[in-house]
Amino acid sequence: MNETITTENSHVPDPERWVDQYGDYLFRFALSRLPDSAVAEDLVQETFLAALHARENFKGRSSVTTWLTGILKHKIIDHFRKESREQPVEDVESFAASLDDLFDEKGKWKIGPSKWTVSPLELYEQKEFWRILALCLSELSDRLARIFTLRELEELSTKEICKVFDISATNCWVMLYRARMLLRGCLEIKWFSPKIYEDK
Amino acid sequence: MSHWMHNCKEVTRMVSESLDRKLPLHQRMGIRVHLFMCKFCSRYRKQLLLLREAMRLKERCVEDKGSPITLSPEARERIKRSFINSLNKA
Repeated sequence: MNETITTENSHVPDPERWVDQYGDYLFRFALSRLPDSAVAEDLVQETFLAALHARENFKGRSSVTTWLTGILKHKIIDHFRKESREQPVEDVESFAASLDDLFDEKGKWKIGPSKWTVSPLELYEQKEFWRILALCLSELSDRLARIFTLRELEELSTKEICKVFDISATNCWVMLYRARMLLRGCLEIKWFSPKIYEDK
Repeated sequence: MSHWMHNCKEVTRMVSESLDRKLPLHQRMGIRVHLFMCKFCSRYRKQLLLLREAMRLKERCVEDKGSPITLSPEARERIKRSFINSLNKA
């Protein structure tokens, strides 16, 4: 596949060539937000169509990639919104129960977190880490994984997240707490503990 | 070894919440006192911050040129076709 992206100057290039130029990038972006190839493909398609119709609005103040990515982000959030209407609401009680596995009756850690001696940059550069993070995210419920992704990757405020999923702020904080607890537990087992034994 | 007001279960929830909103002063103080004495909750907090920072780096650099993940030829064709249809209609 031709990976080179031709110079992005102020004018919008030939729409028919967009798919070749930006399709793979947008597809990867969509997949990093929602691990479902079929949906990701649809969202990329919708993004191109929306961009085609909004072509005149593109002022060339940002790169074409940035512009298309912005449209795609909205498509992704829209998708989450529609989908969340059909999803069952999280069972808050089962979370309370799963917390009991982590803490004793006095509320102390049963198994304390270990020390993760890695910098954010080092972590970012580890391809394997992102693979395992995706794996850990896939073990969460869809809704939980999406709320977490919107919060940490997209940096949406909890207020915005509440609107997308039509939940209360308190519910949102609880869900984020739940997602973080489950993820850090999963990462500790699947990523960090094996590392401790491998390295020195 | 009692940790003043809050136990680890409560503190982990508050630490998580502190990443999403500004907590009232008494809670922030409560967290600080607890973290000062509790190695595990301090590590927990550092883990969450590390994860957040790494993810923010990721959001800024999604572009993985040469990544093996690409649109399938079928999807590419389908998208192009819908694109051209839409272009002709416009």
